[in-house]
Amino acid sequence: MIAALRRWTDQFLGRGAAAITVPIFDGALKPNQILEQAETFAELEAPEDLATDGNSLFVADGASVLRYEDDTATEVAQFDRRITGLAILPHGGLAVALDGTEVRVIGGPNDGRSWSNVAGKPLNAVNAICTAVDGRLLVTDGSQAQPYDRWCHDLMSLGRSGRLLELDLAEGGAREIANGLAYAFGTMSVGKDVWVCESWEHRVLAYGEGKSGLPVVSRLPCYPSRLSPAQDGGYWLTAFTCRTQLVEFVLRQKAYRTRMMKEIDPRYWIAPALTSGNTFLEPLQGAHLKMRGIHKPWAPPRSYGLVMRLAPNGSIRYSLHSRVDGKNHGVVSAVECRGTLFALAKGRRRIVSVPVADIERRLMS
Amino acid sequence: MTVPIVELRKATKKYAGVPAIEEVNFALLPGEIHTLVGENGAGKSTLTKAMAGVVTLTSGQMFIEGQEVRPETPVQALHLGIAMVFQETSLVPTMTVAQNLFLGQERFFNRLRGIYIAAQQFLQTLQFDVDPTATVGLLGAAKKQMVEIARAVLHRAKVIIFDEPTATLTPEEKKYFFDLVFNLKARGVSVIFISHALEEALLVSDRITVMRDGKVVVTDRKENFDRARIVQAMVGRDLSQTLYGQRKTTMRRPGKRVLSVENLRMAAMVKNNSLSVFAGQITGVFGLVGSGRTETFKVVAGVIKRDIMYGGEVLLNNKPVRYLVPAPAVRDGIVYVTEDRKLEGFFETKSIADNIYLGFLAKMRGKRKLISKREASEVGERLIKRLNIRAISKDVKAIELSGGNQQRLVIAKSLVQEPEVIIFDEPTRGVDVNAITEIHQLINRLADEGKAVVVISSYLPEVMALSDRILVCRMGKVVEEFSALEATEEKIMYAAIH
Repeated sequence: MIAALRRWTDQFLGRGAAAITVPIFDGALKPNQILEQAETFAELEAPEDLATDGNSLFVADGASVLRYEDDTATEVAQFDRRITGLAILPHGGLAVALDGTEVRVIGGPNDGRSWSNVAGKPLNAVNAICTAVDGRLLVTDGSQAQPYDRWCHDLMSLGRSGRLLELDLAEGGAREIANGLAYAFGTMSVGKDVWVCESWEHRVLAYGEGKSGLPVVSRLPCYPSRLSPAQDGGYWLTAFTCRTQLVEFVLRQKAYRTRMMKEIDPRYWIAPALTSGNTFLEPLQGAHLKMRGIHKPWAPPRSYGLVMRLAPNGSIRYSLHSRVDGKNHGVVSAVECRGTLFALAKGRRRIVSVPVADIERRLMS
Repeated sequence: MTVPIVELRKATKKYAGVPAIEEVNFALLPGEIHTLVGENGAGKSTLTKAMAGVVTLTSGQMFIEGQEVRPETPVQALHLGIAMVFQETSLVPTMTVAQNLFLGQERFFNRLRGIYIAAQQFLQTLQFDVDPTATVGLLGAAKKQMVEIARAVLHRAKVIIFDEPTATLTPEEKKYFFDLVFNLKARGVSVIFISHALEEALLVSDRITVMRDGKVVVTDRKENFDRARIVQAMVGRDLSQTLYGQRKTTMRRPGKRVLSVENLRMAAMVKNNSLSVFAGQITGVFGLVGSGRTETFKVVAGVIKRDIMYGGEVLLNNKPVRYLVPAPAVRDGIVYVTEDRKLEGFFETKSIADNIYLGFLAKMRGKRKLISKREASEVGERLIKRLNIRAISKDVKAIELSGGNQQRLVIAKSLVQEPEVIIFDEPTRGVDVNAITEIHQLINRLADEGKAVVVISSYLPEVMALSDRILVCRMGKVVEEFSALEATEEKIMYAAIH
């Protein structure tokens, strides 16, 4: 009763869970233009994910897996469906998620193994795969309610059906580590723990011994996506777009959202996007974005590019940005390979690269 | 030889037998701007108060245009052509700006509208953006200062004495003020100007007098002074390198995010303001008056309340907090060291030890039913030693301390609460250079100990000398963030204005 009363007063006064507030980009998240100014490494048809074996860069592009040695790409695998998640296995071979509904192993000692059901539920929106040190595969199934492409529908429906899964490569078994996540997107094995990004809650959670969803990073001003290891300790965390007060407000207005989802083309929703500025029909136009013809870098972002460098304990050390006036938006994956950070800006279907030493010199000196 | 407009010969003023000024010889020439500088307690205010009739000299003579005078009240001094603009404003807070301007000059029948029109015209000639119908109590410190200055000008004084006039003014307002001073000079008015800001003294003065321990150390033309010479004369040693002298070449790395402010709103003063404060760092906050910087942190510390509806969030260690009064904030580890120490900082009739002990008790949540005099004495002595508060004893009343020591007392009262987040609002305003150095050292020490320190200051060199990161506020929100290494005065000022 007291909780219900509190909820009601919070809603009325705009406090607590109903507070339409967004954390600020400051401190380690202070905006810069490093990601925007990064060199374009490749422009592709439909890039979805990046992976590395430490020597080469692997890219899931549509239904193919490409391997980049220096600047030359070779196709190493081709599938009948689009790849939505990619991992390089330590003992050889690849693990791919196909259309979000199946995880399949190609090559290596477990070639041909696949999963399309875990814990009695079909895979629906698998968006990230990573390998743990003991040979397991960790997989995030974004949503049980919406397919991979319809992530924005899941956000606007306040979806909470994401899952964190563990697949046994050797035996073929599988189990659910966590469910009911507000869009699981990206996972990483960290010692004995597993970290998973809960995008709609803007945080990274840890599961493991005595930890059942302990926040490692929380109250992010963005929607986090995939995680990958950094070569000298710590991790890279990408965010595919930023939070804004307008979207937070819309997320609290059920009737409005329902009608918007029913009547408006999803491209023009008041919702985050991987890219923006493509048409005048998009929301957030005019003085919000431009002043005297100049696109304001600090305007409310509909799309944004962000990669964060996390310390081993999860604290943010620094970040790379492509601001509102930039192009390298919708960053869904970043991997470090031979001293260079590669980031996939899905919004522009491009991979950009920056030497890590260069980043450290600019941001940490 | 030019006859001085005001001259004091062997002027001495004693309080209970203790000389505040002793055998001071001072001359103010017609149409000159004469700056008095010195540490707190050097006797600058007493000297000028004697001229303005606020205090009477114990011995010595005073001359106006060669005629010996002995003003015993400010009204007498005003009739002699000497007006003083006080450090603590002497305005009537419940009256309007116009009423304050014409206070003492009223006719038998007054048309309020006429007063307002006259005040409006007069304020416009001075380029002061102050509403004559506004109640003075509701004005900010800077605007009150403007009204004080306007009143002195209105009284057509031949000599105007400004006691720390720029302490509460923003850089823009300071420029207006200096223009006004030059304008007064052009009209033949002589100006005595007391300031702790040495750059201002070097900028506006014709002559500078340095005082120390109630005596004049040196009087000379400004061309013969530089910053180092003034400081050396003030304190008897060279402090110029330790006082704002050097820019930061290293900065502390941030620790955990201790305090987050998200989309905070407070009436018209704070508009959707967001910022973070990190442990182990000094976060400097710069902004012009009205930029909402003080109000933001007052909301954080529970001194004032944010908007009831959609007022935003304040998070301490990632947990939302909403303080309606400062006591729970103090218990949670947030302290706010006020910019107005005389009004909000201490109980002036209580002793140093009692004041510090009251700060200590504030943390106790009423659990301490009996007050222990021994504990009060111990706590007081510990903090007096730690902060180097200079007084004859810990039982000296706060009001009897110099400005620098009063500020140390306010800080001691806060530090006794063992805070995690310490917000210093104008920590060195109206404080002598010696105390400034010590307060800066203390602030740095707190950050080195891992505390999250916020320094709000209108004085750019101070912000730049202390801060590891600098937040610039404008129109109720943070508009720019600089690291200590990338910040320049020009960048900060540009962000604060444009």
